[in-house]
Amino acid sequence: MNLDGYRMYLITVHGGLTDEKSRDLQRFVRQCDGFILMVTRAGPVIALDEGRHSLVAGHPLVEFMGPVELNPRGFAAQQLQSIMAENLSKQVELVEPVGGDPAPTS
Amino acid sequence: MGLGATVGADLLAVPFPKMVFDLARAIANGQTALDRASISTLRVLARTEFDYIPEITEVIAAGPVDTINGVPVTGVDVTTRPGRTLPLSLLQAGLTPSFYQFTESVIEVKMSISSKVSTQSEFEFGASVEANAGFLFASATVSSHVDYRTSNTYSYSAEGSSLLRTTLKPVPPPARMMPRFITVNTLVSPPQVTFSE
Repeated sequence: MNLDGYRMYLITVHGGLTDEKSRDLQRFVRQCDGFILMVTRAGPVIALDEGRHSLVAGHPLVEFMGPVELNPRGFAAQQLQSIMAENLSKQVELVEPVGGDPAPTS
Repeated sequence: MGLGATVGADLLAVPFPKMVFDLARAIANGQTALDRASISTLRVLARTEFDYIPEITEVIAAGPVDTINGVPVTGVDVTTRPGRTLPLSLLQAGLTPSFYQFTESVIEVKMSISSKVSTQSEFEFGASVEANAGFLFASATVSSHVDYRTSNTYSYSAEGSSLLRTTLKPVPPPARMMPRFITVNTLVSPPQVTFSE
């Protein structure tokens, strides 16, 4: 999967985040080929292709959507990175490159 | 006015200063909007807090001993105790807003001017001679005609296209916009002060 054009965004939700809103929004982000990196009290932090930014930003639940980056000098940057990596690994489908060596079989 | 002058006038008619001004103004407006969006993100990150648990202590202790089929089996109790929670904002934790900057802008103007002049001339000359002769006289008549026609055709066309291209790149946040974190650790003596951004 090519993640070249992907950027990280923080989303806040109209009227505060509830479980239902969070689920709806996450489902929509996944439909737009985005990934949920973590969920905060304000809303989810997602990875999304830049070209689809306006699509998600225009969702009725979205109050604000801004691009963010990971600051390695942050107090809990390492933990945030671990959480995001773990969540991402559950959503990204690893595909063998075409023409690549086949996976070893036992 | 000659054709050269017309071409020159057309080239001069390209509103280049206006195009540069419009592009610069659009970039300035775009940059302001981007900076405002980044500052809004900064505000959201600063006010979104969560309880950070820096340490979790697990205590493994001997549990009650059970006897199974006459064999004593030692049990183990694991007690998990989270440490003191630390309220952190997402900004403190390590998320920062992305800032963008227009790094390069290009205005490309292409003009294609073609002019064609064709001149067509026709020249026709004709002469007729008539002579009569009698007993005491003789006469001769000479008549001739000259036709000259000329026509000039001018064709002129000018086509133009312009391209505006600008590059937007993420840049580190401006130093004055990002707060500096001063951590005072009073657990050690003397208290340790660290600065981070």
